[in-house]
Amino acid sequence: MSKLPKRLLGYTDKVSVAPGDKIDFKISSPLTGKYDVRIVRLICGDDSDGGPGLKVDSVKTPIDGSYPARWQPIHHGSYAAIDNGAAFAATAITLDAMIWPTLPEDGRDQALLGNFDAATQSGYALYIDGSGHLSFRVGAAASVRLSTPLLSRHWHHVAVSFDTASGKVIMHQHRLLDYPRVQRSDTIDATIPGAKTAGSSRFLIAAWSDKENAAAHYNGKIDSPRVIGAALDAAGLAALRPHQAGKAPVIADWDFSREMAGIEIRDISGKGHDGRLVNLPARAMKGWNWDATEMNWRHKPEHYGAIHFHDDDLYDCGWETDFTLTVPAGLKSGIYCAELHQKGPDGEIDDMIPFYVRPPRGTATAPVALLIPTASYLAYSNHQMASSWSFDELSSGKFVTLSAGDRYLEENHSFGLSTYDSHNDGSGVCYSSRLRPVLNMRPRAELWQFNADTHITDWLEARGIAYDVITDDDMEAEGLDLLKNYRCVVTGTHPEYYTTKMMQTVRDFTNEGGRLIYLGANGFYWRVAYHEALPGVLEHRRAEDGMRGWISEDGEYYMNFSGELGGLWRRNGQPPQGLVGTGFAAQGFDISSWYDRTPDSFNPRAAFIFEGVGKDEKIGDFGLIGGGAAGWEIDRADELLGTPPHTLIVAVASEFPSSYHWVKEEFNHTHSAIDGENCPMVRCDMTFFETPKGGAVFSTSSISWAGSLFHNNYENNVSRITENVIRRFIDPTPL
Amino acid sequence: MFKIDSSRADLAAAYKKNPLDTYPSPALQKVLQRLRWGNARGRTIVVCTVPEREWRLGKMGTRRGMPVEIDGQAYNRYEDALWACFRARWREVSGEDCPVA
Repeated sequence: MSKLPKRLLGYTDKVSVAPGDKIDFKISSPLTGKYDVRIVRLICGDDSDGGPGLKVDSVKTPIDGSYPARWQPIHHGSYAAIDNGAAFAATAITLDAMIWPTLPEDGRDQALLGNFDAATQSGYALYIDGSGHLSFRVGAAASVRLSTPLLSRHWHHVAVSFDTASGKVIMHQHRLLDYPRVQRSDTIDATIPGAKTAGSSRFLIAAWSDKENAAAHYNGKIDSPRVIGAALDAAGLAALRPHQAGKAPVIADWDFSREMAGIEIRDISGKGHDGRLVNLPARAMKGWNWDATEMNWRHKPEHYGAIHFHDDDLYDCGWETDFTLTVPAGLKSGIYCAELHQKGPDGEIDDMIPFYVRPPRGTATAPVALLIPTASYLAYSNHQMASSWSFDELSSGKFVTLSAGDRYLEENHSFGLSTYDSHNDGSGVCYSSRLRPVLNMRPRAELWQFNADTHITDWLEARGIAYDVITDDDMEAEGLDLLKNYRCVVTGTHPEYYTTKMMQTVRDFTNEGGRLIYLGANGFYWRVAYHEALPGVLEHRRAEDGMRGWISEDGEYYMNFSGELGGLWRRNGQPPQGLVGTGFAAQGFDISSWYDRTPDSFNPRAAFIFEGVGKDEKIGDFGLIGGGAAGWEIDRADELLGTPPHTLIVAVASEFPSSYHWVKEEFNHTHSAIDGENCPMVRCDMTFFETPKGGAVFSTSSISWAGSLFHNNYENNVSRITENVIRRFIDPTPL
Repeated sequence: MFKIDSSRADLAAAYKKNPLDTYPSPALQKVLQRLRWGNARGRTIVVCTVPEREWRLGKMGTRRGMPVEIDGQAYNRYEDALWACFRARWREVSGEDCPVA
């Protein structure tokens, strides 16, 4: 019944390219045969009823043509791999670790340590069986298990020894927290005769091998795992912790608190069994010995020796390249897509894979730059809020309504998650990558982030305003050198996620005479970090407060990519009000409102904004997003939070229903007067202020603003105000 | 804790009349909040099966990666699917049938 169609899927190796750059496209098709490709410049991606429609310009490039279709797999689930595994096939061996399992009763095996290869049924593994019991297997023989189940989200010492000569297995577990009536320790002494330790050529942590792939992924933390080249007796196993290997011949002793930002794990035994992490498990996680004396891993890394592995982690699909575009010289800057079509037995399947073409580096081809919020796109990539959130319907004011894209992600769980989601074990997602098919940051998708931002490109084209496209990724790489080429920078509708460098760059730009149009809301809100060496991935910790999809655990507020405190920018000394005049005030997702002009709007300093707008006109009482220009998420000014004292609040929207809720970081105690009908903080302030050296900032403070630009064939007061500001901002005369 | 009262057919009728009402009465709002509290997994939801043209009721599996169970009845108006979802949730939350058909 109503079966989902198959999909063409793809992604690129880069997000932003300049003329002369190469960009690789990696495609997977569920069909055989060939698919057709062409490159298009995207003007508008909104194909919804009543919207501007899907608008593209075809661009002739050498990659136009047909390509052989092939299926490319996705291998999700994180683990650590030690490739030089010969030493682990010792005739006598002991495995030892501290573990904090998060889904011990998952109905399937979860490997902790070993060289077991499921394909050949060879080697050994310490693992958790489907009912949550510590188990050990070697070769194809029946496994040994402890009768006492592991407790979820509790630290346990686990160890096993095996001697091939005698076949003797001793396995032991001990929980750190003691509870009356809940068995704390368990040990078993058994025999598996005739089994050998030789298995895969590699040793894995948090999974076992299945030929060259990994399987039996573990959910939970592992801290300080070790391998000893002797079969310890029961007393020896129990004595291994806290961290006493004694005189036993250690083969490997991994310290996960070393090189916290990287994907290498270090063996401190001196035997050289360093490993690498696959699919970005979470690092800088509290270890078994964390005692709350330090909240910052950089100050006491020895308390952060745990890595949290998840069976749904995904960093890089690692697909082969199907075609490569060399961006033609002179190609106009803009949003582009590779448009794919393939005919199948059940009809045509297609995809549009976006990328951004900036002007040649160091140059501008227009006075206006549209700053595409690629960091925010990344944070939302493949979000699955309907299944992750227990508050989704109360927040949105609607029963969950899945789109085809939502349903595809729900039914096909290998595409990785967003920073809005929880992993299968309930822990929050810290990392989001673009090296995977991203289904929701596309044309023809929901009007949120990417597709909503094409209302801006659609309007710029309709009004004949020349613009370049640049991205957060470019700004992170080049800082002010990128922005200083422009008189006016325009944001997207929801530039929510900012790194330290991006915040500083925007601040430097406006302080150096640049003009900024903040054409959105809930911007500059969360602090995030890109990785210095790994491309296409962003880290976020949902620390302290804020409107959050999940909540970071205490002691895990500091990012491992950068070492910085995560969370809100307003909790990191830089409220957005100090940068753009306004900051996140409220959200609601059923209807949008309109603005009324304020006395400030008649200040001569603001006259250019309202040229052609009547003094009593409702501004934006129309639009594609909730029927108004002020809505979905809205910002307000507040001098206590840094709104500059000379700021003009030129228009205010204040008529919101009870479905709009005041942001939680602003109230001290919960109470009943926090919604659009009873809370004066639920409002949307349109602001303007001048900055040093002739610069200025204009903020609409609403996500839905851009959805009103199209109304009445672009002839409306939202369009007029936007154009008034943009034309004044590109005029070099100081403001 | 507020309990849904199955004798309040007037509240169900008010929702049926305008499922997208931005200003539901306080009494109806309480009912909606009870129906919407909690994670949607395992509960009746709405699934759009043809963009802007067709909706059906559905249920997500117990975990990601499982097929969404789709009901046979198709609705050509979103409001009708919402009303059907309301009735199903009323039953799921209160244990009694919604008093309005």
